Amino acid sequence: MRFLVMVKASPESEAADFQPAAEELAEMARFNDRLAGEGRIVLTEGLTSSAEGARVLFDGDVEPKVIDGPFAETKELVAGFWVLNGESLEDVVALMKEVPCLGPRGGVLEIRPISE
Amino acid sequence: MRFMVIVKANEDSEAGKGPSAELLEQMGKFNEEMVKAGILLAGEGLTPSSQGARVVFSGTEEPKVVDGPFAETKELVGGFWILQCRDREECIEWIKRMPNPDGHAGEVEIRRVAEAADFENMTPEVEALEGRLRAQSSGQA
Repeated sequence: MRFLVMVKASPESEAADFQPAAEELAEMARFNDRLAGEGRIVLTEGLTSSAEGARVLFDGDVEPKVIDGPFAETKELVAGFWVLNGESLEDVVALMKEVPCLGPRGGVLEIRPISE
Repeated sequence: MRFMVIVKANEDSEAGKGPSAELLEQMGKFNEEMVKAGILLAGEGLTPSSQGARVVFSGTEEPKVVDGPFAETKELVGGFWILQCRDREECIEWIKRMPNPDGHAGEVEIRRVAEAADFENMTPEVEALEGRLRAQSSGQA
């Protein structure tokens, strides 16, 4: 099975001048290297803040409306993601409990199975 | 530039009601068009949030696991594409043409994917690891 694992945004990740520290980048790279070694990683990317984003709103036959970011509901926004191979939801939950950086800082991961 | 295009969930997707035959067909054509234009890097749909979980980290405590479903349907992700576009405007123009035969009200969010140059504190060690990762994972999506 494949899973989309999303890192939810935080006030820090949404801030205009947000830059992960060198040590955080290194810890995450080592974690990703480990996952890659286990054949887990299909994709992994970070997103820039929602200030650079846009939303396209559809409503019936009306021409879609475009709204520029930033978007207010920070905790519902996505800051980065993995697409991972996993045996089961429990397997991926156990793996992602070990993700670096989020522990000390606090944060939320959402894990969702991909349709096959 | 690469963009993550997030299609938000709706009551139907959260209820596990699959897309209509018409939507599947039109979406297939739309995906094909994006492949021909050379912009489609990846695209997936998600199962309802009732099959998902959240892992909540707070300081030094053991992370807490919360099982789905999650309430705020319109903020949930229903599916996504990763698109390679010249700029955000090109991406927006593509997404405005996304098929919506059932006339659903809905929201699609477009977010730029960060590149190595976006990280000021990137070290050569990390860049080397990231490069290896890309080489290993490329072509799997």
